Amino acid sequence: MKSRDLIKLLLYGLAMLGGGVFLLYALSGFGNRPRLIDQGVKDKILHMGNGSEPSGIDVHLTTGVQEHAIQMALTEGLMSEDPITLDPVPGMAERWDISEDGTVYTFYLRDALWSNGDSVTAQDFALSFKRALSASIGSEYSYMLFPLVNGEAYFKGEVEDFDQVGAKALDDKTLQITLEYSIPYFLSLINHHSWYPVHIASVEANGGFADRSNTWARLGTFVGNGPFVLHEWNVNSVLSVRKNPLYWDADSVKLNGINFYHIESLDTEERAFRAGQIHKTYKLPLPKIPHYIAEKDPRLLNAPYLGTYQYALNTSIKGLDDKRVRKALSMSIDRDSIVRNVTGAGEFPSYSIVPPDCAGYNSRSKVEYDVPEAQRLLAEAGYPGGEGFPKFSILYNTLESHKSIAEAIQQMWKENLGIEVGLENQEWKVYLDSKVRGDFDIVRFGWIGDYVDPNTFMDLYTGNSGNNNTRWASKEYDSLVVAASKENDPEKRLEIFQKAEEILVDEVPFIPIYYYMSTYLVDQRVKGLYPNLLDHHPYKHVYLEE
Amino acid sequence: MSDIADISNSQEAIDLAQAEKGASLWQDSWRRLRKNHLAVSGGAILLVTGFICLLGIWVGQPHDAQNLDLGATAPSAEHWLGTDMLGRDLLSRVLFGGRISLMVGLAATFVSLVIGVIYGTLSGYIGGKVDAVMMRIVDILYTIPFIIFVILLMVFFGRNLFLIFAAIGAVEWLTMARIVRGQVLSVKNEEFIEAARALGLSQARIIFRHMIPNVIGPVIVYATLTVPAVMLLEAVLSFLGLGVQAPATSWGALIKEGADAMEEYPWMLLFPGGTLAISLFCLNFLGDGLRDALDVRRSKD
Repeated sequence: MKSRDLIKLLLYGLAMLGGGVFLLYALSGFGNRPRLIDQGVKDKILHMGNGSEPSGIDVHLTTGVQEHAIQMALTEGLMSEDPITLDPVPGMAERWDISEDGTVYTFYLRDALWSNGDSVTAQDFALSFKRALSASIGSEYSYMLFPLVNGEAYFKGEVEDFDQVGAKALDDKTLQITLEYSIPYFLSLINHHSWYPVHIASVEANGGFADRSNTWARLGTFVGNGPFVLHEWNVNSVLSVRKNPLYWDADSVKLNGINFYHIESLDTEERAFRAGQIHKTYKLPLPKIPHYIAEKDPRLLNAPYLGTYQYALNTSIKGLDDKRVRKALSMSIDRDSIVRNVTGAGEFPSYSIVPPDCAGYNSRSKVEYDVPEAQRLLAEAGYPGGEGFPKFSILYNTLESHKSIAEAIQQMWKENLGIEVGLENQEWKVYLDSKVRGDFDIVRFGWIGDYVDPNTFMDLYTGNSGNNNTRWASKEYDSLVVAASKENDPEKRLEIFQKAEEILVDEVPFIPIYYYMSTYLVDQRVKGLYPNLLDHHPYKHVYLEE
Repeated sequence: MSDIADISNSQEAIDLAQAEKGASLWQDSWRRLRKNHLAVSGGAILLVTGFICLLGIWVGQPHDAQNLDLGATAPSAEHWLGTDMLGRDLLSRVLFGGRISLMVGLAATFVSLVIGVIYGTLSGYIGGKVDAVMMRIVDILYTIPFIIFVILLMVFFGRNLFLIFAAIGAVEWLTMARIVRGQVLSVKNEEFIEAARALGLSQARIIFRHMIPNVIGPVIVYATLTVPAVMLLEAVLSFLGLGVQAPATSWGALIKEGADAMEEYPWMLLFPGGTLAISLFCLNFLGDGLRDALDVRRSKD
């Protein structure tokens, strides 16, 4: 190479470097341009990271946490919740009566309006429940409404007339709900989005009443009754909502709007936070957690989160249909090491399904970390030393932290059992689709409680739960969960849960890994956002302080 | 006469003698390449790197051995390049990744070379309507967006290292075919081809014995430039999470991991990134040197 070429090369290098520096400078906002969060504080717009692109906002069709974060802004159910204690507080229902035996609830609705000016009626609720219970819509959460009299029968088609189901509009403003049995936490239960109302006229104008491909829940056609209305929706970028002037409690809503940013990479999100682009992150990248904890950064929020990080197993495929194999897989994971070294936010290792101290319940049964026993079980199942073991893969939605955990477990199985598994990542919506269709061997799965009661974890693995994609079902287990629901004595009830959990731990339809912590960064000017077990933050209490 | 005696002692005379002996194109190029120190050292570094990556299987720790309690540690006597967050030795991972990256680079280049040379030669040699049709096919294939093409392949056939080779090779041969066709067109009407025809040689023999060796210079040059391009493509795919499957890794995948943790554990980005950068530099220097060496028209030195 001649010296002329070398000079050329150097010049190119310099030009690239200069370009890079300029780009960085431009990205950092040209020095004094107001940062999005400062502007947000002025305009009272909350900018928050919200994970990957949501699969939708139709309350009957979603299961994810990021979808729920948006639904909470757009829709309000009969009840709402206290931002600190999560206790039920009046929402669409102004007051209610409960019958002596706790099975009949009569809700008196307030004069509330939908965002298009229609008034919210008791019929809206009854029809929404009908929609959620329609088999044709394929809601994963239909089972949430099974406590209604004839709810399950209607779902299964055994009862065809919805009038026989325990949800009746006595008049425009009075809704009567009749339950099969009394549920002590019923008012919290109906805080879940499967019990939220939908605007029936909009639903019917955009496709079938109970058709999964209905297009009403999109920008332009969506009508809600929550504190905010849908304003803008750019796929894979931002979904923004603005204050709803027609909301019944609009005076106490302090924000003018919320922008939900959908960023699939946690690193990008954390950088956006530091660059002043968002007030709150969705999560934190694993390598950064220990540093924020060590520095005692006041912006770090790290609180117990009522959820279980687990691997659900497809029990219908060869290999995983054997209980001993499933047990061996579960027993050979060193959970202590994972929470100490990989996740690092102070999570608790999980050996069963219900997180510790959930409404006074602590699991007794647990899967042991016992490698020799795991090897023995695997050999007994016909795969001594992992020989001839089918090649499975772990499916997870694209996120760095899921990959790190999967790699750690992959290696533990390789070293402890001598089996090789592959890793496969999919984008959130594709992942949800694969999971529901059962198109997986082992799937990463985070189950977050829908209300603070062990039941939200126990009924996950019942045979009729749309969220149980393992193909595993046990009549005995199902009947125990139902028996627990019907039991009025709290102690006996928890005792039945213990028995049911024993079955889960023995049958291993899923591998528990750890109990979540909710770990994220919040700008200190964000007020009214309190750490709580469900990580629910009713937005009408949130405000930005200048 | 005394003039000639003087010259015979000088370098030129030796060159002259060699020329009379009939130094082949290859010897000539080799001599010119050797003078280009950047290209030679580039090639040498590449060879050494490849060699170390291959040997890395036997020495050191396996690339997937974890030590969760150790976690990410800075370079030390025990782990020369440090460890990643799962406590895996970064040196063995860089070496393992190098094997995949270099393999992808070489294999995909080979695929593109074979398809491109045959296709381009046929197109240029036959000419006429066949040429027009074949080149329009190339034009159409050019319009397929690469990343979407690869994602489609992954969706239909699942993730697989050979698929990555095939996908990259299938895209890279297009330019190769065009270059070869251009060369063939320019060589086609030279006298030695005429002579071969006059001798009544078969088409196949003309193509493989006379045509291809005469167009091979630019092809080799382009191939050396394709290798880094392919390695970068593989890095792009791995960066997007479409590349090799864990626990296997490649330089691209390592860089992605390193970029995620670059503020906490800078060595995780520095070493794989540096290695990839050096290798790409070397390949480019080598390619540049080969271009100069094999270009007959530039052989004034």
